[in-house]
Amino acid sequence: MDELTIAMPKGRIFEEAYELLVGAGYDLPKELDDSRKLIVEAPNEKFRFILAKPMDVPTYVEHGVADIGIAGKDVLLEHDRDVHELLDLGISACYIATAGLPDTEMDEVTPRIATKYPAVASHYYRSKGEQVEIIELNGSIELAPLIGLSDRIVDIVSTGRTLKDNGLVEYEKIADITSRLIANPVSYRLKQQRITELVDKLREQVER
Amino acid sequence: MTIEMFEKPLGMRDDFPLIAKQKADLRKQGTQLIEQSGYELLQTPTLEYYETIGKISAISDDALFKLLDSQGKTLVLRPDMTSPIARVAASKLLREKMPIRLGYYSNVFRAQKREGGRPAEFEQMGVELIGDDSLYADAEVISLAWDILKELGVGSARIVIGHTRLLELILADFGLDAEQSGKVRELFVAKNGVGVEQLAKELPIAEDELTSFLKLMQATTVVDWKRWINEENEEQRELYRDMERLEQLLERNGLGDAITFDISFSSHMTYYTGLVFEFYGAGSGFPLGSGGRYDGLMEQFGLQVGATGFGLRVDRLLESVTPEKAEQPHTLILFDEQSEQHAFDKAQQLRDSGKRVTLQYAPAVKALEPFTALFTEVIREEDLRNG
Repeated sequence: MDELTIAMPKGRIFEEAYELLVGAGYDLPKELDDSRKLIVEAPNEKFRFILAKPMDVPTYVEHGVADIGIAGKDVLLEHDRDVHELLDLGISACYIATAGLPDTEMDEVTPRIATKYPAVASHYYRSKGEQVEIIELNGSIELAPLIGLSDRIVDIVSTGRTLKDNGLVEYEKIADITSRLIANPVSYRLKQQRITELVDKLREQVER
Repeated sequence: MTIEMFEKPLGMRDDFPLIAKQKADLRKQGTQLIEQSGYELLQTPTLEYYETIGKISAISDDALFKLLDSQGKTLVLRPDMTSPIARVAASKLLREKMPIRLGYYSNVFRAQKREGGRPAEFEQMGVELIGDDSLYADAEVISLAWDILKELGVGSARIVIGHTRLLELILADFGLDAEQSGKVRELFVAKNGVGVEQLAKELPIAEDELTSFLKLMQATTVVDWKRWINEENEEQRELYRDMERLEQLLERNGLGDAITFDISFSSHMTYYTGLVFEFYGAGSGFPLGSGGRYDGLMEQFGLQVGATGFGLRVDRLLESVTPEKAEQPHTLILFDEQSEQHAFDKAQQLRDSGKRVTLQYAPAVKALEPFTALFTEVIREEDLRNG
């Protein structure tokens, strides 16, 4: 049996994915995530997990240091990586949307958009034929309209709670986001049997 | 922005001696096999017109390096070798000699958008068999590529084979028009299963055929393909027979276990109109090379002939191949004014016997110890004087 290296984001997505794998009948050690280790093994299944930053998972997979990975669609949209998107795991559901202060119009000439997803935002406004100035931020995006840095923000919305607490409202939905199972194109071919088997088992779990 | 002195243009690399040596070895092994199989090596210009090769090459426009010549015409650094060779083959000189077998080892240029580290210039090694539309030609080039991978020692090498035309016909049978079929193939190229499932909901595919449609991406053998073949359609029937025959030929050539027949496999290179294939191996996260049949490309040069070929990427082959560790013996002779004549004679004598010898004037070396450590054998001035 080939060893499979799996890149996973730490935290909530890992827990949900862990449940899915165990549900699919994979024999994983009980406590995988609660150490500070970056690489953990599941010897019974010949799995090796690489625990990574969510944004980096597709990078590991694209370069083939991880055969497969679990990544949010938001990251896949933002960084156009050369990976195979095999299965929608349906976990960590949320969506990307535009938001801003209530009852405001965007600046007519060049509205400013603050976001952690410059590529997604730029593509969205270009496809609508609007010229905008994109301002890239790394966190607390909601701050931008409050302090007059931007007219709108483009960000992940899961419950809408953060927006509401900061007095912002959602304007347009851009894309639905869930976590996806991705694979390196070469690993997919060299370990096709194992990967397809994993996809089939997970699919059963997801569709349940 | 100012450019630092050590900087090179985006995606350009220096090949240090070790890599240069590995490449030279790889080139020797590869081109020897190519020539032994009856292919003649050729070279084409580094610069081509944008209007001809640039447009025909199927490499996306923003990946082309463009520049202007002194007359204001747009030029490109050649982005692939297949189109220039197609042009050469279609020239008057070679037209009469069909079928012709041409091979190459050349650098090609493709501008990189992401991560400056990705190479924008890399070597490709491959062959084109032009003027033969039989399956034997396809089997020949696939087997030759396989032989090269084996000779170089690529581990768990794998070949994936698909058929663009057959896939087109099958998609049409599912009721898709050209535009829908194009979208599906784009997703197939990226093996975007999620995208295919989502798109399938919007396509006019009958409910009872949906499962069958989604299974397209899972076929691995020619027998698997049979369920989608419409026996009443003559072209499909014949293409399917071809694939069966190709499978037999490749099995006979000893490639049986290494091949995946994936009906959904498609290439982003649009000039491949029939058979397409791609090579993979352990050690590299990226495909090692690809190829296929490109009869349509020859038509652009005014020739109605069949053509097939492959190209392997040398930079990725290097990742896949473990270089021979055995250190080559390398002798250093250090000399000074007194021992100069001796040293020269000695070097000549050793070189004549096939050894690799570096002659160095000792006082010019600032740090003698680290320098001599680079060699397997050191002959010093005093050794020379003592005979």
